[in-house]
Amino acid sequence: MPATPVNEADIRDWCLACLERMIDYPAAPVDPNTSFAEMGLDSATSLYFIVELEEWLGRELEPEIVGDYPTVAQLARHLADGNNGAEDAGPG
Amino acid sequence: MPAPAEREPRSLVELLHRRAAAQPHDTAYIVLADRGGEEATITFAELQRRAHALARRIAEAAPAGERALLLFPSGIEFIVALFGCFCAGVIAVPMMLPRRHGGRDASASIVADCTPRLILSTRRLIAGERGDLAARFAGAGLAWLASDDADGADDETTTRLADPSREDVALLQYTSGSTSAPKGVVVTHGNLLANLAMIRAAFGTMPRSTLVSWLPQYHDMGLVIHVLHAIYLGSRLVLISPVAFLQRPLNWLRAISNYRAEFSGAPNFAYELCANRYRAEQLSGLDLSCWRIAVNGAEPVRAGTIRRFTEAYAPHGFAAAAVYPAYGMAEATVLITAGGRGDGAAMRALSREGLQQHRAVPPENAEDTQIAVGCGRAAIGERIAIADPDSLRRLGPDEVGEVWAAGDNVASGYWSGREASAAAFGATLAGEGEPCWLRTGDLGFIDAAGELFITGRIKDVIIIRGVNHYPQDIEHTVETAHPGLAQHGAAAFATSDAAGAERLVIVQEVARAHRRAAAPDELTRLIRAAVVADHDIAPYAIALIRPGTLPKTTSGKIQRSLTRQLWLEGRLDVL
Repeated sequence: MPATPVNEADIRDWCLACLERMIDYPAAPVDPNTSFAEMGLDSATSLYFIVELEEWLGRELEPEIVGDYPTVAQLARHLADGNNGAEDAGPG
Repeated sequence: MPAPAEREPRSLVELLHRRAAAQPHDTAYIVLADRGGEEATITFAELQRRAHALARRIAEAAPAGERALLLFPSGIEFIVALFGCFCAGVIAVPMMLPRRHGGRDASASIVADCTPRLILSTRRLIAGERGDLAARFAGAGLAWLASDDADGADDETTTRLADPSREDVALLQYTSGSTSAPKGVVVTHGNLLANLAMIRAAFGTMPRSTLVSWLPQYHDMGLVIHVLHAIYLGSRLVLISPVAFLQRPLNWLRAISNYRAEFSGAPNFAYELCANRYRAEQLSGLDLSCWRIAVNGAEPVRAGTIRRFTEAYAPHGFAAAAVYPAYGMAEATVLITAGGRGDGAAMRALSREGLQQHRAVPPENAEDTQIAVGCGRAAIGERIAIADPDSLRRLGPDEVGEVWAAGDNVASGYWSGREASAAAFGATLAGEGEPCWLRTGDLGFIDAAGELFITGRIKDVIIIRGVNHYPQDIEHTVETAHPGLAQHGAAAFATSDAAGAERLVIVQEVARAHRRAAAPDELTRLIRAAVVADHDIAPYAIALIRPGTLPKTTSGKIQRSLTRQLWLEGRLDVL
């Protein structure tokens, strides 16, 4: 678990490192602004990603979260807002 | 002295009635919450009461013989709705819940194919948690019914419930066929009961056998081998959601241990996942010695997986003799062959080279060795044969050909195009009169002891995590991902990774001339995103090739196996 609170950049870097490890086919771009689908994250892989993220963050996340915030950049921003006590109000 | 043999029930309705009468207060189903703990339970009496109440509401909305889609998350409501349909005489059509952020799926084609009158779901899903569902099914004129709405008057006299016979259709299984042309296997009460009798005999399960399942309930293995098998026995089934399993695979094993379950099955990938995610520190107290029947089916069974899983979990009481490979398909209700209880898996060393030429011969050397896993023998009441797919002649022991199956569990055909079904469901072996054989499209051989080994397949299907994918669906998604891609210029096929699991490869021609030129990287990215959105699988490799270089026959048919060969040898004209 990270030293709390973590900021947006910490979350983004952690997600990218985790996805690098997890995505095991050649030439898939792991980038903060590439969508999870473009990286090739199917639902099974994304569930495993979320579990790892939950364990690192120390809080529970909804399985649908990567659909609601479809890039690492958006997800990190949302999670960082959550750490500051903002409501989970969905995107936009 | 053994109890006198019970007369086989005539239908699932009669089966439910018997259970509710004989053991009303026994727990039938237990649902575990995704984060642990029991979320819900239901007894046999309560299941019957709720199924009858729902059946009256269904009968008011649709006459017997109409179809009802079942759109449910994993859980008890699905089971209530299923038996509600049976008791109303309405044909149940279990369906995968479309993913919220998913793209194209089979739901529209299934609606067009079976023209249902009703959609059964839960109040929460209908009322807004999944507002996208109403939009997805709008326009088909379907009535929505929530299974968990107030049951209404439990007036036994207002509506007569159905009393189906063995010939009546119980459900349609849409796990075969492409997205654009889905095939709904017509499963009667008689097919289900015949297969359930085979399942009980093959596995040796009893009323006191607790079962555990995380499998999707709309899928034949989850539905028949777990949900219906449990009520057939009069035992209890502990349910975990597929999402909870994928998130924390060890929860499956934990549930088996906690409930002292004797029976639980899953496709090969689930065992692989558990072997890979083995964490000794998370497994204190895990005792799998109760697990006597660990069924492995719905995708090719791999020797390496069995070995890794058994080695990892033997210290936690898992016995190699519990490994239970099985073979079947929805066209045969579900089960065709299975091993003997406590026998473990039969394995045989074969020549890899020989298998590529469809021959089962001993390996030349260690390099050439492939371990084939036996899928057991024909279930009691089932017959299997190996046929030459061209001459349709029956082949002898150890000769590789198409697997054929016959028995009361084999369905009569698909819902649409029953004439077309005749070729697949009513085949005749050359020189043997009976037109009763199901052609499975799988290749294999039967050894001298009657053990079936699957060695490949004739049909064009890619199986990933136990789910069948059809190349033409994936190719359609790929071709339409960007205007710079050639129409009728894609080939999708599977290759195996080092452990033998299938993975998806896509080869796509770029268009000869396109105004919106795009860099290959960009095209690859769009293709990958489209395939994930529509099919929920990540392509392992995507090769873009020059216009006009995709192998096709003179009549323009895409040659997938030749393309695969050229891809493996690095001989495609890649951009």
